[in-house]
Amino acid sequence: MVPLFVLIPFFSIIILNLFPKKLMQHLSFVWLGFLSLAQVYLVAARPVWFWDTKLELWNLLFSFRYSVDVITLVMLLCIGIVVFISLLASRAMISDVHQRVNFKNLLLVSLIGMNATVLVTDVFSLYVFIEITAVSSYIMIAMNKDRLGLEGAFKYLILSAIATVMMLVAISLLLLLTGNTSFEAVGAGLAGAGNSLFVRVSIGLFLCGLFIKSGLVPFHGWLPDAYSAAPAPASILLAGIVTKVSGVYVLMRLAISVFGLTPSVQALLMFIGAVSIIIGAVAALTQTDFKRMLAYSSISQIGYIILGVGCGTKLALIGAVFHLFNHAIFKSLLFVNAASVEKELGTTDMDKMGGLTQRMPVTGITSVIGLLSTAGIPPLSGFWSKFIIIIALWQAGNFGYAAFALLASIITLAYFLSMQRKVFFGKLRSGLENIKESSMGLIVSQAVLAIITLVVGLIFPLVISWR
Amino acid sequence: MNLAGAQTFWYFYIAIMLLFVMGAYYIIASFNLIRVLIGLELLIKAVTLLSILTGYLTHNEGLAQALVITLIVIEVVIMVVAGGIVVCIYRNNKSLDTRKLKELKG
Repeated sequence: MVPLFVLIPFFSIIILNLFPKKLMQHLSFVWLGFLSLAQVYLVAARPVWFWDTKLELWNLLFSFRYSVDVITLVMLLCIGIVVFISLLASRAMISDVHQRVNFKNLLLVSLIGMNATVLVTDVFSLYVFIEITAVSSYIMIAMNKDRLGLEGAFKYLILSAIATVMMLVAISLLLLLTGNTSFEAVGAGLAGAGNSLFVRVSIGLFLCGLFIKSGLVPFHGWLPDAYSAAPAPASILLAGIVTKVSGVYVLMRLAISVFGLTPSVQALLMFIGAVSIIIGAVAALTQTDFKRMLAYSSISQIGYIILGVGCGTKLALIGAVFHLFNHAIFKSLLFVNAASVEKELGTTDMDKMGGLTQRMPVTGITSVIGLLSTAGIPPLSGFWSKFIIIIALWQAGNFGYAAFALLASIITLAYFLSMQRKVFFGKLRSGLENIKESSMGLIVSQAVLAIITLVVGLIFPLVISWR
Repeated sequence: MNLAGAQTFWYFYIAIMLLFVMGAYYIIASFNLIRVLIGLELLIKAVTLLSILTGYLTHNEGLAQALVITLIVIEVVIMVVAGGIVVCIYRNNKSLDTRKLKELKG
């Protein structure tokens, strides 16, 4: 019954929009909450009746080929959690009825896109579902129709359309080379084709497209703009999961099971990862806007994941997938913190804040947990994943990159501590005496994410043996 | 890779290359939002032609047809969204000049 992950959101868009808008906003809130939590339950508990039953009726109507492995399961789990958090944030942050309804429809569309992206086994279907996810996120960024949002959305749209053109050219070339588009056929064809210029051009084009999609350093221009200009619930969704699914996950899947980790691909991935780590971290140091700083930190953390994928040993891949999970959790946590500060203060400029922990205790404390986890302080979950990646790099003989990754996490700590000092710690800035803790939905989502970060860090041995 | 007859399509390659160069030139050199979109459209058209040619050369016409039709549908969706964003930008700025989109600094 695995295709239900895609089919149920699809039919619920059609059915929910039959109701009048006033009713639909509550109904879709409940239904989307149920869908995302059900997805978390189905992945975490993995009941046999769900995963092993075949849908005979649907197979008659159309065929949906899918494959499920550990990476897919982790991604489905992250999608469920982040969609739920973004839903709670949208309840708190969006007050207009029409915008609420629009946002929930877009959330359902992007749920379809993301779930299908992680399940498909075909290069062209991958492109189709990446594009569905991307279209829904363009509209989410531009949803308020303000100048910044439109500018961010247009930049994202143009760069991501160029990325898809690159990917499509690569798909056409792979089709020319192998005569098919499924993962196995393309992988087998590439393995038989050797290392000609043609193969290298098509793999290189595909990787470049994915680098743009995941916002790695030479192609990262759109990412801070899109994240900081988007409305808060959309930026939680984008930063938490959309770029990870449509960029990093696809990169990982193709690198592992289609292109194969050849030495040249490995060298390219590790180099790009290392450059992203350092440039993202240094750029984050200089930012004065809360969300832009988080966006640059996101580039830096994606660099760690790509470094792990590029290393290519089994341990490094485990570390990369684990860091992907952790990054989805703690980056959503930090973006929810930013959202609740934005909701109460009406700004994301860090120079206008100070001492907010006195007024917003939950936001302050959970943001400390998020920052310590990002910087890799034990016993939080981010420590373990970074630790595994660095150990794997060392074992594989990449001593330079290992030392580099270790040193760069000090810069991570530096920019986060400077953020904390400006925003949450210290004396309350004058003029902010009337600030209250933000609404219930945001508090609950912050608490849930912080508890996940803490618990995953503490019961790490159980988590790492989960499969 | 069996590409019998690949040589006879040299004019096809030239058309695809020309479309690519024109599209890229429009995107890079133009300061008008609509022209950027037209450039994008040219790029996607070039890719569409490339997939048709690929399907013909590898005797996968059925697969290529399915791919091209899907491609056209998705392209329309992207262009509609992009057009909507451009209209909103025009309403806000009263101008289609990309040089006025400078509030966010990469």
